[in-house]
Amino acid sequence: MPYQYSDSHTSADIGLVSCGSSLKEMLTDAALGLTALMVEPKDLRDDRIVDIEIVGDDPESLFYRWLSEIIFLKDAEKFLLKKCVVKSDDCPPWKISGKLFGDAIDPSRQRLKIDIKAVTLYKLGVTRNENVWRGEAVLDL
Amino acid sequence: MKKEKFLQISSHIWEIPVDYKPGMRVPARILSSPTLIDSVDEKVIDQITNVACLPGIKRYAYCMPDGHSGYGFPIGGVAAFSLSDGIISPGGIGFDINCGMRLLRTNLNFDDIKEKREELLNRLFATIPSGVGASGFLKLSRPDFFKAMEKGGEWCLEHGYATQRDIEHIEDRGRLEQADHKTVSEKAISRGINQMGTLGSGNHYLEIEIAASDNIYDKNLAEVFGIDREHQVLIAIHCGSRGFGHQIATDYLEVFDKCAKKYGLTVRDRELMSAPVNSEEGKRYFGAMACAANAAFVNRQLIVFGVRKAFREVFGISDEQLGIETIYDVAHNIAKIEEYEIDGKREKLLVHRKGATRSFGPGRSEIPARYRSVGQPVIVGGSMETGSALLCGTAIADAETFGSTLHGAGRTMSRMQAKRTVRGEAVKQKMQASGVLVKTGYLPGLAEEAGFAYKNIDDVVAAVDAIGISKKVARLYPVLNIKG
Repeated sequence: MPYQYSDSHTSADIGLVSCGSSLKEMLTDAALGLTALMVEPKDLRDDRIVDIEIVGDDPESLFYRWLSEIIFLKDAEKFLLKKCVVKSDDCPPWKISGKLFGDAIDPSRQRLKIDIKAVTLYKLGVTRNENVWRGEAVLDL
Repeated sequence: MKKEKFLQISSHIWEIPVDYKPGMRVPARILSSPTLIDSVDEKVIDQITNVACLPGIKRYAYCMPDGHSGYGFPIGGVAAFSLSDGIISPGGIGFDINCGMRLLRTNLNFDDIKEKREELLNRLFATIPSGVGASGFLKLSRPDFFKAMEKGGEWCLEHGYATQRDIEHIEDRGRLEQADHKTVSEKAISRGINQMGTLGSGNHYLEIEIAASDNIYDKNLAEVFGIDREHQVLIAIHCGSRGFGHQIATDYLEVFDKCAKKYGLTVRDRELMSAPVNSEEGKRYFGAMACAANAAFVNRQLIVFGVRKAFREVFGISDEQLGIETIYDVAHNIAKIEEYEIDGKREKLLVHRKGATRSFGPGRSEIPARYRSVGQPVIVGGSMETGSALLCGTAIADAETFGSTLHGAGRTMSRMQAKRTVRGEAVKQKMQASGVLVKTGYLPGLAEEAGFAYKNIDDVVAAVDAIGISKKVARLYPVLNIKG
C-alpha cells in the first residue's frame, strides 16, 4: 500500500506516512490515505470535480497545505476525494494543481468512519532519498 | 521515566527542576498519584518541560493526573503567561478550541426512562447530527454566524435556543468578550457555518447517565448542583468548536510559524509555535480563538436545544415537567485572562488550559450565584464505558494551579492498538450486557474509545481530590451513549 498509518507518535490521534517515486505520487497517495480514514473508498463516486491549486514555500509546507485542503473541502464543500488528476514537479516552484474527482458526503450509501479535523505540525516532514519521496504527518481526530 | 531526577513535593506532586533541560524558565510539576506516576510517559515529561521553556511563564508548568502526550503541550497541561512579556500558543489550547463538557440535570429517574431507552437513543441519534461532515439544523447567514461567534451564549438566548438559567450556568456565560470575527479566515467561516449543533466524532459523545446515592460522595454539594433524587437521569455532552476551531488553529500555526523569527522566539517543538500576547499576531489569534470558544458554547447549547426536543417527543411532557436544566458547561481547551497573586502582587495572566478544566473555589465572582458559596462545578468525562464524574472547584486550585484541574480519564492506548485488541461489535455487546445501550455511525470507533484504552477515571479523580484542587461530588454511570 502506498500509504500507511502509524500510532508511534501519539495515542489520541493517528500518523499518516506516504511514499512515492515522485512528489506528485507521494502527495496524491497521502490525500487518498487521509480520505480512506474518513470513508470506505469503494463507496465513493467520482462525479464531482474540484479545481485545485496549492502552493508551498517548500515540499513540507506544500504537503501540509495540500492535506489541510482535503480536510477543508470535506467540511466546507462536503467533498470526499476519490482520485486526483494533478501535476506537481520535483523541483521549485512547489505547487500542485489540477482536478480532484470525488463524491458528496452521503451517509445513506457511504460507510463513513472517523472525522479528520486537522494536520498537525507535530513530526511533520517530507524527505527525498534518491528517487523516493516520503511524507509524514500526524492527523488530529 | 527518569523519576529519580524529580523532587517529590508531596504524596501526589513531583517537581522537575529547571536544570532538567537547558532553557527551562520555571520548574514543571506533575500532579499524579503513587500508583499513576510510573505510567507517565517520557513524551509527557518532554512536552511539559518544553512548556516550561516558553517566555513569560509564571510559577510552574503543570501536568494534571490525566495527562498524556499531545502536540506542543501535553493533554492535561496548564501554564500561565505574563501579559507584558509572555506568549500565546495554539499548541497550549489545542486544535479543538473550547472542547468541553456540558452536564444537564432532569426531573426524571431511571424508572421513568427504562421502558423507552431504545426509542430515546434512536430519537437522540436522529436529532443530534454526528460523524464525518455532519451539518446542523441551522442555516446561518454570514452576519448571523458572525454574531453567534462574537456573542456566544447571549446569541442563543436572543434566538430562543437557550434559557436564562442555561446561560448563567455556562463558564463566562458562554461568551469571551475578546471575540472579533474580523480575525477569522474565510476558510474557517466556510468550515464552521453549517456545523453548529453537531457532535463531531472521535471521543465526542452524548450520554444519558444515572446518579445513584451509592455514588454520591457529597450529598450537600450534589443537591446544590441539582442532583436531588435517587437514580436521577443526567445528560452529558462532550464536544467542541468542530471544524471552525480546527481551521483557526491551523491558520494561526502557519502565521506564528512565519513570525517566530520576527519576535526572536525559538521553541523546542513546532507545535509550541507562539507569538507575544501583546503582538499584533498574538492579539488577532486571541480574537479568533475567542470566536471559536464562543462557537463551541453555541454548538453545545444547540445540542441541548435538540436534546430537549427529543425528550419532549419521546416522553410527551413539557419542558417544565422534564426539568432539563444546565448544571454547568466547562471548557477544557482554552486560554483566558485571569488574575492571580505572583510574588505578592495581583497580576493578570493568560492561563492556557489544554485538556484541563477551570476549578475555581468558593467566593469567586466568575461563579454563578447559585454555586458561589461552594465553588464551581467541574465535569470530568471518562471513557464511554465508564461514565463521568462531577467535582467541585476549590481554593487550593485557585492558590496552587491557576484555578485548574483535570478534564478526563486520559488515554493510555493508541486508537490503532485498541482496534487491534478488540472489535467494535464486541464492545457494543459488552456495554449492552452491562446495561448501556450505544449507537454510532462507525462501529469500529467503539473499539477506539473502549474503557481499557483510558486510565481509570476513579484513579485520576481520587488524585485531584487528594491534592485538593477539586473535591469529589458524584460519580455518574452511563445507560445510553451516542458516540460521534
